[in-house]
Amino acid sequence: MVMRILTTLLILGYSTAVLAQETKIKQDSVSTVLEEISMLVEKKKKIETEMKMAVSVDEFLASSEQISFIKRGAYAWEPMLNNMSTERSTLTIDGMHIFGACTDKMDPITSYVESNNLSTIDIKSGQEGGMHGSTIAGSIDLKRKTTAFGRSNPWAGGYQTGYEFNNKQFFNLANVSFSGKKLAGDASIAYREASNYKDGNNDEVKHSQYKKFNTSLGLAYKTSELSSVRLDAIFDVAKDVGFPALPMDLWLSRAIITSLSYKQLFEDQFIKVWDTKVYYNAIEHYMDDTTRPENLVHMDMPGWSTTYGLLSKANFKQGNYSSELQLNAYNNLSIAEMRMYPQDRTERTMFAYSWPWVTTTYAGLSLNNTVEFSEANRVNFGGSIGVNYNYSKYVDFNWIFHPGAPQEKTRFLPSLHANYEIDVNRFNFSIGAGYGHRAPSVSEAYGYYIYNSYDRYDYIGNPDLKNEISNEINASVGYKDQRFSLQAKVNYFYIKNYIIGRILSLGSPMNYQSVGVKGYTSLDYATLFNFALTADYHILDNLHWKGNVTYAKGQDNTKGNLPFIRPFSYNTALHYSYRDFGIQTSVHGDLKQRDFSPEYGESLTPSYTVWNASIDYTFYVNNFKAVVQVGAENLLNEYYSTYADWGNIPRMGRNIFTSFKINF
Amino acid sequence: MYFDIFCRIIQGDRTLELSNTAYLVGDKRNIFVFLLSKLLGVISNTIFFTTMRIFIWIVAMFMLTTACTIDKTDFESENNTVVPDDYEFKEVVSIDKGSYHIRVEALHGKLYKGYNEIRLRITEATTQAPIQEGKVTFLPVLTTLEGNKETCPNQYALTYDKAEEVYKGFSVFTQESTQGDWKITITMEDDNGTLTVSQPIAVEKQVNKNLNMTSFIGSDTESYLIALVAPLKPKVAENELVAAIYKLDSSNTAVGENDPTFKDKYVLAEDYTLLLDPRMPEPSMGNHSSPHNKDLVQKEDGFYYGIVNYTMTGNWTLNFILLNKAGLILKGTKVPTDFTPGVEGKKSELFIDTLF
Repeated sequence: MVMRILTTLLILGYSTAVLAQETKIKQDSVSTVLEEISMLVEKKKKIETEMKMAVSVDEFLASSEQISFIKRGAYAWEPMLNNMSTERSTLTIDGMHIFGACTDKMDPITSYVESNNLSTIDIKSGQEGGMHGSTIAGSIDLKRKTTAFGRSNPWAGGYQTGYEFNNKQFFNLANVSFSGKKLAGDASIAYREASNYKDGNNDEVKHSQYKKFNTSLGLAYKTSELSSVRLDAIFDVAKDVGFPALPMDLWLSRAIITSLSYKQLFEDQFIKVWDTKVYYNAIEHYMDDTTRPENLVHMDMPGWSTTYGLLSKANFKQGNYSSELQLNAYNNLSIAEMRMYPQDRTERTMFAYSWPWVTTTYAGLSLNNTVEFSEANRVNFGGSIGVNYNYSKYVDFNWIFHPGAPQEKTRFLPSLHANYEIDVNRFNFSIGAGYGHRAPSVSEAYGYYIYNSYDRYDYIGNPDLKNEISNEINASVGYKDQRFSLQAKVNYFYIKNYIIGRILSLGSPMNYQSVGVKGYTSLDYATLFNFALTADYHILDNLHWKGNVTYAKGQDNTKGNLPFIRPFSYNTALHYSYRDFGIQTSVHGDLKQRDFSPEYGESLTPSYTVWNASIDYTFYVNNFKAVVQVGAENLLNEYYSTYADWGNIPRMGRNIFTSFKINF
Repeated sequence: MYFDIFCRIIQGDRTLELSNTAYLVGDKRNIFVFLLSKLLGVISNTIFFTTMRIFIWIVAMFMLTTACTIDKTDFESENNTVVPDDYEFKEVVSIDKGSYHIRVEALHGKLYKGYNEIRLRITEATTQAPIQEGKVTFLPVLTTLEGNKETCPNQYALTYDKAEEVYKGFSVFTQESTQGDWKITITMEDDNGTLTVSQPIAVEKQVNKNLNMTSFIGSDTESYLIALVAPLKPKVAENELVAAIYKLDSSNTAVGENDPTFKDKYVLAEDYTLLLDPRMPEPSMGNHSSPHNKDLVQKEDGFYYGIVNYTMTGNWTLNFILLNKAGLILKGTKVPTDFTPGVEGKKSELFIDTLF
C-alpha cells in the first residue's frame, strides 16, 4: 500500500500538497497542472493516526510500521527506520538537510516541526530513499503544507486544541492558508505545554515535562503562468524540556528553517517540472543540568548546527518513461562544547569540544527512472553519486585518540537501486535490490567524549572510519480486493563496515557517570532483516479492521545481536462509524525481547500490551466541519517500557485525551 | 463568507462581533452550535492577528538568526585565560661595565622559580654595535638565609645566536628570592681580556604552572631536580613534554663561586627514564586520564622528551616515576588507574601539577 503510494509519487516524481478542495478555475494552467498532480497523490496521508486526530509528529511517525523510536522522555523521539538509527537514514524537511545540534541526539529534526505545518511524511525504504542524499536505511522526508494558487475559496484554515490528562498536556494549533491568483500563503502557529507524565504505577516520571512553540510561514508568488517563487520559514522553540533518561535536560533549543524556491513547469515537453531551492537553517541547543542537583559535576553543553544548501530537481516524462533528477548540495557546521565546573567554582573550568567545529560539505546527483511496460508492470531503477567532505577545525581533539588522523577527508558515495513491480490480477509483487555507501556522521567520525547514558560509555569518533556499504534486497507480495487487502514486505541488509561503538582499552571516562570509553569502529559486516505484514479488512461499510505485525533481526559479524532491534510487534485496530460518530480501538504491543544485546548495554525487555480506545463526533458549524474526540491510551494502565526506551524509562500510564478540531 | 469576515477584520470593523452574532441568530440550530460559532468568531480573530504577529516575528527572527542565544566559546582566548599568550623576551636588568652594555632578557622581563630561558644582548655602549662570538658565561648563585652558597641547574657557557645577535642559555632557579639572595655573575672573554660583572636579581614565584619544578632525594640518597621546560602553553591536544632532570653531584665539595667547579654542582641526569601518567586531580573528574602518552627519554640536548595528551583544559597532575639507567625506581609510585568519580585520584610520590 505504502509502496504503491510511493511508486505513484515516483512516477509523478513531483508532489505538492494541495488542500483537498476541488478547484474550478480550469483556465489557470499552473493550478491545472498542480491539480492533476494533487489528484494523483490524493492518497497522501493526513497527519493523524487511526486512534487520535491530534497527534504530535512523533506519534504520527510511530503509526508507520517501518518506524520505531528510541525514546529518552516524552519529547523528541529519535525515529529509527528499518531498525536503524538516524545516522543511517536521511531526515529532511521538503528535501532540506537539517542536522540536530545535540550530541546526545536530543533533537532529531522531527522535533523542529509541528503537525500543523506538515502535509505528509514520505518514508522510503533503503536505497530508494537515496534521492536526497546517501543513505542506508532509507529516507524520511517531512513535507510541508503548500497551498496552490487560485483556489475557489481564498481563505482556509483550521484550529485544534486539546488536553491530555496524564501529563496535563495542553495544546493549541492553528493554521490559515490563503490562495489568490498571484499570491498564496500558509501560516501556522502551535504551542504545547506538558508536565511530567505518570507511568503505569501512577508514579510521576520526573523530568518529563516540555514546552514547545512552533510557527511557520510560507509565501508563494506566481511569476508567470508556469512559474512561481516561494519563501518558507519555520521557527521552533522548545524550552524546559525534561529528558528523564538522560542526566541533563534541555533549557532551550531554537531552530530557524528557511528556504527560497523557484519552480518552473513545462507544458508538452520532455521536462515537466524544474524546482530549485536554496535553504538555510540554524539550530541552537542548550542543555541544562541545574535541575539535577544530584549530579556530581555541573556542566554546560551548548551545541550549534548551521546548514546552507541547494536542492534542484527536474522531472521528465515521455511516453512510458519518467525520471527524476536531483542535485543536492549542502554545507553544515556542527559545534558542540562541554564545560565542566569544578566543585570549587573559583578553580579553573574544564573545557573541551565534543564536536570540534566539524564542517560537512556534500554534493550529490541522484537519478531515478521508471519505465512502465504496461499498466501492470514497471521497473524503477536509479542511482546517485555523492562527494562528502569533512573538515575538523580543532583536529587536535581527534588526534588525542587517533594521532595523525587527517584533518580533512573526502569520500565518494555511490549508490544504485532497481526494483520491478508487477500486478497479477488481485496480487501485486515487487522485488528490488540496492547498493549504497554512507559517510560516518559527525559524532561517529569526530565526536569527542560524547556520553551515552544508555550503555554508560563515553564515545570517541574515528576520522578514519571506512564508508559503510549496504547491500540490500527487498520484496513484497500483496493481495487486494474490494474489502480485504494483505501486504507482506521483507528486506534484508548486508552492511559492510557497520559502524558501532566498541570498548577502547585506551584512556578513561570524562563524564562522571560513565564506566568507560568506547570508540566508533567498523564491524566487518552486520546483517539486518525486517519483515512486516499489514492487513486491512472492511468488514462492513462502516466497520474497518487494520492490523500489522513486524519482526526484525539484526546481527553483527559474530552472530551477536545488534542493539535497538525491535522484537516481534503487533498492532490491531478496529474502527466503527455510526452517523456522525466514530469509535476506534486498538491493541498494540511487543513480545519479549529475546534477541537483546548485552554487549551494547541492552537488557531483556519483557513483553507488553497496550489497549487504546477513542470516540469522536463530527458536526458542522455553519458548514465548517468540527470534530470532538475523547479517548484513552493505555486504558489498562500497564506499566511497561519498550526495548528502545533509554534507561528503561517507563512509558506513560493511562492517558485520557480530549481534542477539538475545526476547519474552515 | 468567511473571507468577508476577514476583510472586515482587516478593515478594523468594530461591529464585527455584533454582526457575527446577528447572522447566527437567524440560524435554526441549537444554542450549542450558536456558542461554538461565537467561539469560532473569537478564534478567527485570534488566528488572524496571531498570523500577523507571526509574520512580524518571523521577519524579526530573520534578522536575529545570526545571533545565537549563548555565544560560542572563543577557543583561542579560552586558552589564554590561565596562561597568558605572551612570548616576548623583555629586559630583566641592564648592566653597564666598561665600554659594554649588557642586557639580560627573559620572558615577561622576569625570572621565576623553575626553568627560565635567558638571553643576553651585549653591545658596545657608544656605537651600540653587538659584540659577536664572544665567550660568555652565566652563573646564578644563591646565598641562602643561613648564609650558605648554592647554585642551580644552569647553562654556564652561553650559545651565540647569530641571527638574533643574542647569547642564549637557561637557568632553573631552585628557590624564590624570599629564600635568599640571588646574584648572577656574567663573564665575557674577548681580545681585550676578561670582563666580569655581578648583579643581584629577583626570582619570583612561578606564575605558569606548566613550568613547575620539583626536587627530591631519590632512593639512591642523591638529590634530584625535575623542571618542566615545555610546553609553556599546553593545548587540548598531543603536547610534546620536555623536562630537565638534574642531579646534585654529591662528590663536588665546592663551597663558593670562586671555586671553578662550583658551577658543576648540578649535573644532567644521563640516560634515566621518566615514566608519565597524567591525570586530572579534580574529584569530580574521578582520576580521569588520557591515552597515547609517552614516557620521557633523554635526547641529544640533554633534556627529556615525551608526550602528554591533555583531553580538556583545567588542572592536571603529571604523575612521574623516575628510573635510573638500571631501571631502578629512584622516586615515584604507580597511581591507581580506576575511574573514581567524586574521589580525588591518588598522586604519585613524584608529581608536578600543571594548569592551562
